[in-house]
Amino acid sequence: MNARVVAALLAAVTLAAGCSSSPAPPTAVTVAPATVTPAGAHGITAAPARADEECDREASLRPRSQPAPGAMPSGSTMAAIAERGRLVVGVDQNTYLFGFRNPSTGQLEGFDIDVAREIARAIFGDPDRIDLKVVDASQRESALTSGKVDVVVRTYSVTCERRRSVAFSTVYFYANQRILAAKGSGIDSAADLADKRVCAVTGTTSLSTLFAMEPRPALVGVATWTDCLVMLQQGQVDAISTDDAVLSGLNRQDPTVEITGPPSLAVEPYGVGINKDHEDLVRFVNGVLEQMRADGTWQRLYDRWLLGLGPSPGPPAARYQDP
Amino acid sequence: MSVLSAARAAAPLNGTVPSLRRVARTTPGVVVLVALAVVVCCAVAAAVCVADLNHRIAEHNTVLQRSEPFAYAAQNLYAALSEADAAAASAFLSGGIQTAAMRERYQQAVAAAAAALTDVTAGATDEDLRTAVADIAAQLATYTGLVEAARANNLQGFPVGSAYLREASALMQNELLPGAEQILARDLAAVDAGQRSVGSVSTVSIVLLSLLLIGTAVGSWILARRTNRQFNLGLMVAAVCVLVAITWIVVATRLAAADIERSRSEGTARIEQLAKARILAQRARTDETLQLIGRGDITAGEQSFQAHIDELLAQLDAGPPAAVSGIQRWTASHQKHVQAYLDGDYPAAVSQAIGSDPGASAAQFGIVEAGLRDEVEKTRAALREHVSTAGRALAWSPVGTLVLLALAGVATVLGLWPRLKEFL
Repeated sequence: MNARVVAALLAAVTLAAGCSSSPAPPTAVTVAPATVTPAGAHGITAAPARADEECDREASLRPRSQPAPGAMPSGSTMAAIAERGRLVVGVDQNTYLFGFRNPSTGQLEGFDIDVAREIARAIFGDPDRIDLKVVDASQRESALTSGKVDVVVRTYSVTCERRRSVAFSTVYFYANQRILAAKGSGIDSAADLADKRVCAVTGTTSLSTLFAMEPRPALVGVATWTDCLVMLQQGQVDAISTDDAVLSGLNRQDPTVEITGPPSLAVEPYGVGINKDHEDLVRFVNGVLEQMRADGTWQRLYDRWLLGLGPSPGPPAARYQDP
Repeated sequence: MSVLSAARAAAPLNGTVPSLRRVARTTPGVVVLVALAVVVCCAVAAAVCVADLNHRIAEHNTVLQRSEPFAYAAQNLYAALSEADAAAASAFLSGGIQTAAMRERYQQAVAAAAAALTDVTAGATDEDLRTAVADIAAQLATYTGLVEAARANNLQGFPVGSAYLREASALMQNELLPGAEQILARDLAAVDAGQRSVGSVSTVSIVLLSLLLIGTAVGSWILARRTNRQFNLGLMVAAVCVLVAITWIVVATRLAAADIERSRSEGTARIEQLAKARILAQRARTDETLQLIGRGDITAGEQSFQAHIDELLAQLDAGPPAAVSGIQRWTASHQKHVQAYLDGDYPAAVSQAIGSDPGASAAQFGIVEAGLRDEVEKTRAALREHVSTAGRALAWSPVGTLVLLALAGVATVLGLWPRLKEFL
């Protein structure tokens, strides 16, 4: 009888001691890993604005008799530029191979810049008489209409919508929209993108093409193409899709990715943008481009800058709207 | 057995009320009751007043030893983080030139942020604040990783380096700085609350002491009617002691309140303003360098820079003049850099922004930052001095009140003792 009482007492004492000796520990702080995304990155769910109007976008004005350098016809736009002494060109400094700043020299270089130099050479006989002004993609039309620049040579895709406010030269380069993804990712066609996250710059024609895909991939819009590469490297997106010219520049910066998919998801014709009122300058620039196609200059520039895109397809043929 | 004793003890208690009335009808009973009432009131008033005054002194110590240093640390954390961001951008931009010096500035700023974070942690008592501090620690580690990724890519001439740096800067501007701003705001609020409780009006103490004063007057009046003596000297002395105690408490708390008011208007509010100004200056500097790193359209960057500068000038209505004139020269230099950039002369724009020319942006920004930092230090010293002075005004008041009220009690007993003795 006593033994049972003692046992019960012991149990009670042990329980009481156990309770009082382990107060709840103070709560430890826990935080989630810091999440980072490039500034302005956002999911694209609404259709990007895109003019669906139809037109013969690539047809330009036929060149007349081409004046010799230094002998511009008086009263023409070219004569005014010659008078000023320099050709003012709107360019990019951020697109590798087309218009970019060489880190070792600090100079702007690229295929677009060299095309601009050829125009200066045709006016002055000197390719260095140019002023390069950095313009953003969204400023290209306003820079031309306000007269801030004479021409824009800046991976400028000819579209029907843009043709309503500015004039374009004939096409000097065809870019193809393709896909950049990690090697061994298994992404090999547009259909493979279906359930993947794909990055593109907001407001570009590339994004519109991606948005129109059926089924539509999960789209992320960012400010610049290098932001897309950061997101690809950090595993935040599975692929990037835009012009092969841009993708090739990104591929050079990361050996673990590759350009893949069909040869062309969409074709982007690049032209020189010119003020709509300066028809004489449009014809003159087309004359310069004709000459570049004919005398091998175009080929030389392609070989200098764009061989990484593959063997030269040859200069694009000119199309004119007038006989 | 215990039940029986309780019943016995209860018997006299039952008779207490009638016996109290009986006592009050006799003159010696009245004398004893008045003496007891005044002494008990003195004791209660002394306890309450001393507790209140000691609480004020403790709050003043808390402000000087805890909340103000924590707020200062939070301010340093915020400033060090923004400086790290501005320095990382400059070091990235500098490429070949001056890299070593600029990188050192970045490393100094990161070390300063880590040190300030430790000081801030010491003041983080509740879970919310500790979580906010832990978030900043985690984000700071991620931030430095991104800066190094940017540097490694830049060294190889890859433009993606600039995208990494912009991502790092976005983390700083969108997560780290708002987090630090919250901590600073909470710490400054704690300082302000501490200051207010040091300088608040001590209503309860003064009401209690006034009641005590009225009590002694009523006691005198009752005794005068019962004993045919005009004044009782003991009660007179007690009343004078209470009056002195009231005066002391009112004067000491008013003096402290005046000092506290100055420490708030010239200290806390000004520090908040200067901290904001310092942060705005660093943000404008980051805008300026990010424009060059982005190498694209600078319209948005320019708007942000202008907005930060305008807000900065608004914060600095009251000077310091060195910083204000520095801002004017800085914006002038900034205009030159923007012009060079728009003209396509990138190297000139970079050298105008981060070059070592004393008239260029880097040097002018340095003058602005140094001017603001000195002003923060000066204001901090003034704040602490005023709080200290407030503490000195209160320093002897608890002891003084205690002594005065003890004297009042003793004087009452000594004054009434002869009246009581007449009946013994």
